[in-house]
Amino acid sequence: MPDPGLVQMVPVLLFAAVFVALLAGYSVALTLAGVSLIFAFAGMAAGVFMPSDLGFMPGRLFGIITNQTLIAVPLFVFMGVVLEKTRIAELLLESLSQLMGRIPGGLGLAVVLVGALLAASTGIVGATVVTMGLISLPTMLKQGYDPRFATGVISATGTLGQIIPPSIALVLLGDVLGNAYQRAQLSQGVMAPKTVSVGDLFAGALMPGLLLVGLYLAYVAWTALATPERTPPARAVGDARPSIGQLLKGLLPPLVLVVIVLGSIIGGFATPTEAAGLGAAGSVCLAFAYRAMSLQILREVSESTLKTTAMVFFILIGASLFSLVFRGYGGEALIHEWFNHMPGGMWGALAIVMLVIFLLGFMLDFIEIIFVVIPIVGPVLLAMGVDPIWLGVLIAVNLQTSFLTPPFGFALFYLRGVTPPSIPTSDMYRGVVPFVCIQLLLLVIVVLWPSLATWLPNLLYH
Amino acid sequence: MIRLIDAFTDATGRLIAWCMPLIVLGTVMIVVLRYQFAVNTTLIQELVLYLHGLAFMLAIPWALKQDAHVRVDLIYSRLTTRGRAWVNLIGHLAFLFPTGVFILLESQSYVAMSWRMREGSPDVGGLQGVYLLKTLIPAMAALLLLQGVAETLRALRTLRDRHA
Repeated sequence: MPDPGLVQMVPVLLFAAVFVALLAGYSVALTLAGVSLIFAFAGMAAGVFMPSDLGFMPGRLFGIITNQTLIAVPLFVFMGVVLEKTRIAELLLESLSQLMGRIPGGLGLAVVLVGALLAASTGIVGATVVTMGLISLPTMLKQGYDPRFATGVISATGTLGQIIPPSIALVLLGDVLGNAYQRAQLSQGVMAPKTVSVGDLFAGALMPGLLLVGLYLAYVAWTALATPERTPPARAVGDARPSIGQLLKGLLPPLVLVVIVLGSIIGGFATPTEAAGLGAAGSVCLAFAYRAMSLQILREVSESTLKTTAMVFFILIGASLFSLVFRGYGGEALIHEWFNHMPGGMWGALAIVMLVIFLLGFMLDFIEIIFVVIPIVGPVLLAMGVDPIWLGVLIAVNLQTSFLTPPFGFALFYLRGVTPPSIPTSDMYRGVVPFVCIQLLLLVIVVLWPSLATWLPNLLYH
Repeated sequence: MIRLIDAFTDATGRLIAWCMPLIVLGTVMIVVLRYQFAVNTTLIQELVLYLHGLAFMLAIPWALKQDAHVRVDLIYSRLTTRGRAWVNLIGHLAFLFPTGVFILLESQSYVAMSWRMREGSPDVGGLQGVYLLKTLIPAMAALLLLQGVAETLRALRTLRDRHA
């Protein structure tokens, strides 16, 4: 029989082993599942792991298959891919930048606005950053924008998809937090637990998300006024002002979709899943109206959506096997004990969790972090009295900040891929620093005034 | 052998991709029927659920073939073709096969029990095929193992080619 003190530390070893194995670059889902299985079988051989703990796996899998909330994932992905493949997104940026290109900093403001709208309709960091980089970076450089400023604006707005609803990150986060909240209350003997839903989280993230866009816009405007040479307006050569018709043509589709999706959720007549379905159908109708839809495109959209969906759910499967083994080794009790002895109580525990998530954000995408970390720490934190919606918004903003922070931020890698080599990476790093500061400012604001996140959901649902 | 498995997996993937527009259509029907006509939509809801489950479970092997499963590519993206083949080979052997075999075996009795009682929907007016839905679990594992064989052979071929 191995030393019990050692057995107690196995969850920590498991976490570390998974992390190291992930760095090798094999499929995240299979690494999570494979490393956990190795730990489970080693534990069974040593007589310190109950085989029955693994027996929950088929039930877990069935739970994933029958999860109604997560059907929103393929639906939102579908909507985003339609907008991307039919070039409706490009049209939007073109018309907005034509409209605003002549005022100082106008193009920068247009990029932030488009980024916010696209974020609202796609919600995948990599895709948004790459799309924005491909469409707007050449235009900004041609117009004489400071490359530092241009790349900073684009990376920052590309990550808005984390926080602005309806985002896929918030769907996953809402589902996982909902489960964690139930566990937290059941563990405290609350027999009729309160729930927190994806809709709650959407409503909670709305105000902080809009505030963030406002802060971005303010910074762009301030830069344009203080240092006009970094954001020259478009030279008035030939291209006439776009007609109202052209402008509407570009602006209307994403606006309509956002109104359909958010309106139907906040208006209370559709669940987030249903709203996602309406949005997806709406995007197809718009594509038809713009004569951009064909059977071939529908096929491409479907295949791309299916691939992304399978990828997300496979990680969920791998992560649930991981959390079974983690719990089987008493990992949850271990975390509970740590957090309860943390100096500063709830605040200390929250600070540690936030720091860990921030650092993990350098290596892992939001899907993995949400599925692996939140089920472990969520129930314990929530049992300590942290508000679930507030926690969700903090995590979303935190992850977004992490994706922006040099030198490891994901958004920077993606943008590097589509940025001309003449712009050094160090310029991109410097350009993004002001936006990282804005992110931290928002984080502080949400920490100090939790009602910014909790006010709207309370108003709507209670 | 690789080509045969690839062709099979590709065909499955392309076919079930059409579930995606069907899920969109179904979801819209649920909303319209419920709010406009106050019809009980349990049947369509479960239909959408079944399509969704079928699609993502059976597309997992296809996503493997298409290399669509996320990797942490800080190091991987800097490796040579050979280095990547090694990572994949070891990953398949150490992680993919055990996971596939585990899910396949562990779900046997779970699914068999559901088949014996022809388990149906717990809701009135729902679909009566819960046992089929549960069968997706071993089916996914079996297809994953099959594609895993192709991927392993592919990695081996890459490693051998470079030796020559």
